[in-house]
Amino acid sequence: MHNTQAEKFIVPMGPQHPALKEPGHFEFTLDGETVTHAGVRLGYVHRGIEKATEARTWVQNLYLLERICGICSHTHATAFVLGVEKLAGITAPPRAQAIRALIGEMERIHSHLLWLGVAAHEAGFDTLFMFSWRDRETIMDLLEEITGNRVNYSANVLGGVKYDVQEKHADALRRALDFLETRTEHYLEVVKNDEMFLRRTRGVGVMSRELAEAWGVVGPTARASGVARDVRVDAPYAGYVDFPARLILQTEGDLEARFSVRIQELFESYRLIRALLDHLPTGELVKTVPRRIKAGETVSRIEAPRGELFYFIKSNGGDKPERVHIRTPSICNMSSVLSLAVGHPLADVPMLLAGIDPCFSCNDRMVLLKQTARNGAHADEWTWEQLHQHGIEYYRKQKR
Amino acid sequence: MKLGGMFADIWHALWRKPATEKYPFEKRAAPERLRGALYFNPEKCTGCGMCTRDCPADAIELVTLDKKNKRFVLRYHLDRCTFCAQCVETCSYDCLGMSNEQWELAARDKEPFTVYYGNAEDIQTFMARAAPSETDAQTK
Repeated sequence: MHNTQAEKFIVPMGPQHPALKEPGHFEFTLDGETVTHAGVRLGYVHRGIEKATEARTWVQNLYLLERICGICSHTHATAFVLGVEKLAGITAPPRAQAIRALIGEMERIHSHLLWLGVAAHEAGFDTLFMFSWRDRETIMDLLEEITGNRVNYSANVLGGVKYDVQEKHADALRRALDFLETRTEHYLEVVKNDEMFLRRTRGVGVMSRELAEAWGVVGPTARASGVARDVRVDAPYAGYVDFPARLILQTEGDLEARFSVRIQELFESYRLIRALLDHLPTGELVKTVPRRIKAGETVSRIEAPRGELFYFIKSNGGDKPERVHIRTPSICNMSSVLSLAVGHPLADVPMLLAGIDPCFSCNDRMVLLKQTARNGAHADEWTWEQLHQHGIEYYRKQKR
Repeated sequence: MKLGGMFADIWHALWRKPATEKYPFEKRAAPERLRGALYFNPEKCTGCGMCTRDCPADAIELVTLDKKNKRFVLRYHLDRCTFCAQCVETCSYDCLGMSNEQWELAARDKEPFTVYYGNAEDIQTFMARAAPSETDAQTK
């Protein structure tokens, strides 16, 4: 008889898996039903965007960076334009800044409603999934009405925005918000009172404030654990300077809190949009930005629907950036899923993963190589030549 | 959820029309600002070429036939276009725009994806000279 004690049972999940719409590979070591160890391999949708920015002009990069993520495309573009404007020493007109915030909030609404559907689907509550996605169409139609596209709105240009918000848009938006508000109240009630749903969320994946801070968790995931961190509040940008956002905080740190924080953020977005529409500054939409940006480097932070989005931009005085580095919120939150999964049954893992609202396309800023001693290199220390050589060998192998 | 609420939901859902649209059979009017295929008005074009410089997808080429008499042909690659409308924003002479009527752009072969804009006469001249432009494309 062999020794079952020493045997490990590893369940691989992904890269192609029905529970995940985007590719990511997870390995869960199990003891019976309980996860004892979790590992992840990311990088399947790595597209080399950071490198590609170096070959495009500042204007062209706007549209490339917008395509990092299909859900929060506007935040990526906003983070980039704000950074470039800072480098150029230009501030976009107040009306443009307000419209940036307005579209940002509309994007948050559609992102959170989408997430609510996905998370409900992972919990096996497909009715809620259908309902929230149906209601999400209201805001998608309005985004199309205002900017001309459902996703990748391309509302930003360097120095301002392309599209004005007219009175007819404002009226349609106000009507839509009334409808969405009643629907969201209903969803909050469902999430807080539905017995079956609570069994999947209450007390599951509890992350204390200390842990959340130690793991560097961001966004609604952090705010559900009592970490008061929101870029819109801490370091207001664009329209949030004149139209301050309120911080939504909850201290329980379990999945239920993460649901509740996101749904309450929807109400906050409705309030902000109404305030923005009522007091939209008048004036021009665009200021001219030179084609060559002054040499220098800057950072730009934005509160994306999933948390803090960070851009580092370096210019050498030319018409192309020298370096753009991006840190997206999903990569910060991913480690918490792996740590939280330990001790939970395998069936809870998809819910834990959905709880951080992961975006794999955002995540994949780099390719993580398994630490093996290759080319005579030390396990975790690679020289530039070795990396270069590895790249050549890797693609040669792919070609074969 | 309360049981009564569930029955109310079912009752309402029974009499409701589907939330989805029967798209190819019933078409909704496109929003005014929808970004569909690009169109070009050669009248005002000065041939500055800023649109081609700013295009992130390399989708437009401006061919100058006669700069003095302002004869230009715009070759537009629909299949490369990302519909971002940066060219429309860049053009200082209001020559470019995006149609909200032409948005059903799928095709079975590649031919319809290259569109020529300009005066009919100019396009003819350009097509007659098409052979050199083909070699141009190859050397690129």
